[in-house]
Amino acid sequence: MRALILRRLFTAIPTLLLVLLASFALMRFAPGGPFDGERPLAPETRAALEAAYGLNLPMGEQFALFLRRTLTGDFGPSLVYRDFTVTQLIADSLPVSLTLGGLAILLALVLGLAAGTLAALRPGSWADETLMLGATLVTALPSFVTGPLLALVFGLWLGLLPVGGLGDSLISAPQFWVMPVIALALPVAGAIAKLARAGLAAALAQEHIRTARARGLSTGAIVLRHALRPALVPVVSYLGPAAAGLLTGAVVIETVFALPGLGRYFVQGALNRDYPLIMAVILLYAALIIAFNLLADLIYGWLDPRSRA
Amino acid sequence: MRRIALPAAIVALIVLAALILPALLPWSHDAIDWDHVRAPAGSPGHLLGTDELGRDRLARLAVASRITLLVALAAALVSMIVGIAWGMVAGWAGGRVDEAMMRIVDVLYALPFMFIVIVLMVVFGRSILLVFVGIGLVEWLTMARIVRGQVMTLRQRPFVLAAQASGAPVRVILWRHILPNIAGVALAYLTLTLPGIIMIESFLSFLGLGVQEPLTSLGILVKEGADDMDVAPMGLLVPGGVMVTLLVCLTLIGERLRDRFA
Repeated sequence: MRALILRRLFTAIPTLLLVLLASFALMRFAPGGPFDGERPLAPETRAALEAAYGLNLPMGEQFALFLRRTLTGDFGPSLVYRDFTVTQLIADSLPVSLTLGGLAILLALVLGLAAGTLAALRPGSWADETLMLGATLVTALPSFVTGPLLALVFGLWLGLLPVGGLGDSLISAPQFWVMPVIALALPVAGAIAKLARAGLAAALAQEHIRTARARGLSTGAIVLRHALRPALVPVVSYLGPAAAGLLTGAVVIETVFALPGLGRYFVQGALNRDYPLIMAVILLYAALIIAFNLLADLIYGWLDPRSRA
Repeated sequence: MRRIALPAAIVALIVLAALILPALLPWSHDAIDWDHVRAPAGSPGHLLGTDELGRDRLARLAVASRITLLVALAAALVSMIVGIAWGMVAGWAGGRVDEAMMRIVDVLYALPFMFIVIVLMVVFGRSILLVFVGIGLVEWLTMARIVRGQVMTLRQRPFVLAAQASGAPVRVILWRHILPNIAGVALAYLTLTLPGIIMIESFLSFLGLGVQEPLTSLGILVKEGADDMDVAPMGLLVPGGVMVTLLVCLTLIGERLRDRFA
């Protein structure tokens, strides 16, 4: 187990470096710059600004500087939000995004596993067909359609939930989280339901399940004790891609529901050419995706001992 | 084929409407009817009403669907061609070449993909078709994996071995013997790529990065509708409904084709 973690961390480093190098190069060779405002700056002013932020150094040196800084946890100053360091911006917004993403993945797991199990218990039945059609439906629903739709129905028409924002604090206002979390979780829940159904149906068709049934075990005990564990394997390997999907979905959901999370810095940073900000956000995203894949591998090994070799 | 017929018919209907309607309607998608701003649905001359600038909603919907479909098809075709080529070479070559090519696919999978697309938008900016060629070029990964797997099993099959033994050049084997056998699976994944790309396009347009005015797309209509939903909920419901119908039907067709071929 420890060897696996070490090996994965070891391969994670070159992957991260590659991601950073590729994004750095793409970003820098794209036309435009952080100081291209409505009004063109005087050449001296621009030169002074670029010197102040170290943008006049050769590209290689800038990248090295960025890496050195990052290792000490310092992402540098934001080029656009002038009074803030990137570290401050991220420290303020990351908890919001993590709460949103964490709640969404929990909800998706609960909904998806429940629907998948119900469907797999009676393959070919009316319930199975309906649940799986529903799963396809919510998987195909983009969050930028479900988000505004939920806001329209529950926020504006029924007036049950706030349309956006976070209120004054995070803990005191759970109602602010309901719609964003549901809108973000639905597509992932649909995908999990399909994987869980396929895995569980295959597991339930095996010999040892028939034996357990013949010995008089209840359906609940069979599913929980014998069938669910192997059935979870495909669900767990989906966690990596799911994390990536949640991250992009969160960008839209945070815009729709006006949540002060990391997503808006992602888009705004790229548009404004706020180099330090966008590099920090990409580093976080890539690290999160890699961490999720590692987590998936660890759970995978626990679920299926044969894969531990 | 029966389980595919209904969703396929719905998609065909939407495609047909998107192609024909703009020519039939008296209003173009960006013409302003000054006398009927914010007309409700069902007003004479404006079947779905007009938006806050007095533009005919039905004409906008048809043009938006047309552009969304066009762009998705272009991107999906590029992704299919690149994916098939990559997967066939890797699967046929095997060994080190295969290992290296699939490692590249793995690394690309780990990239925060939306960022690449956003940068592509920034670099290519004005030319919407080029941008979607760009998306297609990034979206070929799954296709490459599937095709590689298919080629690896196919190359052990007797008819391929026979073709090899009779001295057919690799080019002929790949083109005449392998390609027709992966066509079904490739078609299924092409259908599954379409909704993914439509979502990316709408996602970008929703964030203001995709298709630009005066052109319009389903994503832009959903965005406009969401901004205006407290006054005119139909502006969100109708384009949202068309997009969801399109996505669900394409997904169903793709899944059922895949179950058939894979």
